[in-house]
Amino acid sequence: MWKREKKPVVGVFGFSGCAGDQLAILHMEDELVDFFTSADIKFFHMAQSHQEVEHVDIALVEGSINTDKQLAELKEIRKKADIVVALGTCATHGGIQYLGDNEKEFEERMLLVYGKDGKIPEFSELVGNPIPAKPIHKFIEVDFSIPGCPIAKENFIPIYTKLISGLKPSKYPYPVCIECKFQGNDCFLLHGEYCLGPVTAGGCDACCPTFGVPCVGCFGAYEGANFESMIEKLIEIGLTEEDAKRKLMMFGGEATELALKGEK
Amino acid sequence: MKTYKMSKDRFPEFIELIKTKGQLFGPVKGNGHYSFEKIEKFEDLDFDYQRTVIGPKKFLTPSRYPTLRYDKTGQSDVFVSDEPQIVIGVHPCDIHGINILDRLFLGNIKDPYYEKRRNNLIIIGHSCFPDENCICKSTGTDMVEDGFDLFFTELEKHYLVWVGSDKGLSIAIEAENLLSEEISEEDIQDYVRWQQKRSGMFKSEIPSFKYLADIIHLNYDSKVWDQFGEKCLSCGTCSLVCPTCNCFNVEDRINMNAEDGYRERILDSCTLPYYSMVAGNHDFRPDRTARLKLYYTHKLKEYIGKWGQPSCVGCGRCVTFCPVDINVITVSEALFGEVCENQEVCD
Repeated sequence: MWKREKKPVVGVFGFSGCAGDQLAILHMEDELVDFFTSADIKFFHMAQSHQEVEHVDIALVEGSINTDKQLAELKEIRKKADIVVALGTCATHGGIQYLGDNEKEFEERMLLVYGKDGKIPEFSELVGNPIPAKPIHKFIEVDFSIPGCPIAKENFIPIYTKLISGLKPSKYPYPVCIECKFQGNDCFLLHGEYCLGPVTAGGCDACCPTFGVPCVGCFGAYEGANFESMIEKLIEIGLTEEDAKRKLMMFGGEATELALKGEK
Repeated sequence: MKTYKMSKDRFPEFIELIKTKGQLFGPVKGNGHYSFEKIEKFEDLDFDYQRTVIGPKKFLTPSRYPTLRYDKTGQSDVFVSDEPQIVIGVHPCDIHGINILDRLFLGNIKDPYYEKRRNNLIIIGHSCFPDENCICKSTGTDMVEDGFDLFFTELEKHYLVWVGSDKGLSIAIEAENLLSEEISEEDIQDYVRWQQKRSGMFKSEIPSFKYLADIIHLNYDSKVWDQFGEKCLSCGTCSLVCPTCNCFNVEDRINMNAEDGYRERILDSCTLPYYSMVAGNHDFRPDRTARLKLYYTHKLKEYIGKWGQPSCVGCGRCVTFCPVDINVITVSEALFGEVCENQEVCD
């Protein structure tokens, strides 16, 4: 028989993203009461109005870092937290906003999007100065990563509950294909349709392929991904190399980018 | 072994009868592929199939299942209910697959979770015709003598019904008004003609399968493995679709209240990273080549040393479902090909 000394203090913090991961937590309606009672939730922008906390045992951090102000806040969170968990593909891989990285120089992109009279306007203090979007592990040490766009509760709960119970979640990467075959699905790639299942981290129960939609890779790169072979396969089914790489980069973030450059 | 004859038009009545014995599962076509699904009515069944994506192993080693529940007061094992499951339409290769799983899970140390499921399972086999991916003739698993309760061989006008167990015999006795014990000379000729027709339909063979294990052993450091390792996606599909792959991982899942939870078995694949990682973070198969080599040497060579036969039953699932064409045929061809190239002995 085991007993916890006291409830761990948990904070849910959000940076750049659609806030879908915070929403995904609030969407776990069957588990919501337990979520707010099994731990002491001290900071949760989307759910609480009280927003100050000195120390958290576990920080769940959503979103990528897009401004210098966010960067400073992120570093504060690291100081306050014993365990930092990157929550969702934006925090773990950089998310869709990483996509533009390196296609053009950052200044050039800023001008293209926000430019006025050939100049980038000043950004208010509330927002901070923009920097290229990056996953949080580029700036601070991250203890655990739970990818997803948004996170899937089947994947989130077992990792989270181990953390609040003082246990170490096991890290065992597998691709979407594993869960796809758990569902007994056929394979898109065998029928000349693109699907990024083999290079994408699992955890979603292969919900898209199960409903007849190919995987677009929203959980980010799978640790054992073989990008070279994947690109060859995509070319074989009729994509150009450029298209194949663009599809891989949509949610692939830095891990995919490095792999495509052969730096992995 | 007792053998009966059944007229084809009585088959729906037989289905109605066995539906009263438990949950009935059988081959169903959906979304362009076949799977064993729950059968409500005879019309759902489609026996004109080559292979399901996942074989009948899903009734014995499901992709994930709880083995233990625990809370603050204690723990208890989780077993399936006693309700029998009947699976109809199982091909000879898949019955061989179940026999291999039986040997592993019901050997000296019996796995209680498997045993319970196996005791609940009634297997009714069905004959088949091969397609170009079937290699059961090479693996010697195109015919099956045991492991089923009943087996239906579909001839022109009727079925031959082979009884393979006591359970099967009691079903047959109950269905005696549908079955006939009178097998005529003509029926036997029909059966022989059917066998000859089927035998002539095999398009894929691995001619040297009998000594493939020796070639793997002698040619252990072959470059072929590197070539396949470069291509392999490490997606695990081959393991999950294989009717004999059964490795599982064990995970504790704590519920959101952080007070109770369950222990779960999840099917695993030796082609995944960290599969061979042990305490202290030592991973003795860190690269794809080593993992893929493990998959094939275990299946085609090591298993023979332990059990006297390979754990490949020639169902052709790896041939059909590997997205990058790494399968028993291509691997054996490449290994032999390399030997032939080096030694010029194979012409």
